[in-house]
Amino acid sequence: MDLKSTREGSNLIVDVEGRVDGTNAMDFQTALEGAIQPSDQGVIMDMGQLQYISSAGLRVILLVAKSLQKQNAKLLGCSLSESVREIFAISGFDKIVPVHDSRTDALKALED
Amino acid sequence: MSDAEAWESAGMSNGLSLTLETRPEELERLTAAIETLAEQDNWPAALTFRVNLVLEELVLNVINYAYDEDGHQLDVELTCNEEDLVIEITDEGKPFDPLHDAPEPDMESPMEERRIGGLGVYLVRTMTSDMQYRREDGKNRMTVAMSRDG
Repeated sequence: MDLKSTREGSNLIVDVEGRVDGTNAMDFQTALEGAIQPSDQGVIMDMGQLQYISSAGLRVILLVAKSLQKQNAKLLGCSLSESVREIFAISGFDKIVPVHDSRTDALKALED
Repeated sequence: MSDAEAWESAGMSNGLSLTLETRPEELERLTAAIETLAEQDNWPAALTFRVNLVLEELVLNVINYAYDEDGHQLDVELTCNEEDLVIEITDEGKPFDPLHDAPEPDMESPMEERRIGGLGVYLVRTMTSDMQYRREDGKNRMTVAMSRDG
């Protein structure tokens, strides 16, 4: 798992790459929480290079979504592969984290 | 003819048989074995993803619930034919039936109230065509079947 973050105005974009599973979900949580600033209004998780995620990774996304909600920030996802999109749909996570086809679409959704 | 040769000549593809220690780091060994089999058996990426997920969720359940401490073992067997895959996980821990003992997943609550428990088993249920738990000879035996094409 590798996480790279960039900033666009008051929004944070995090690229999640590789695998998020039971062995590294804690690292994923630490990296994600470390990247988020209290001033962030929107966080876009770009999952274009995310090859695999299990319930251990979904748990972290839920925790982060909850803490972002407390600072009135939104969490969005984009560029999910077909398998990751399926996991989001089955688990109902697409209702917690709105999913967009591209990063551009996600940024546009934050502007609206 | 050896068993392996008989297996091959009957048109069956190979499978996987692995003994893991009951600690989460062992998932890496499991994942590597799945990737190797997926390559040999020409699995589409979506199938590799599903097999990885089903095995991870079930193996972590055993590690987290069947034992109070590390230092035990569990067995993973995977067999595949042209249509289906069958996975069997066996351990000698406390009786734990994921079908009944795992919490009901919470799919509908608003985000702030959403609980995560039971989600792993729920994902496994949706990705498999059959799921059976048996307690016999002091062992938990979980068997799941899944079709190759989802």
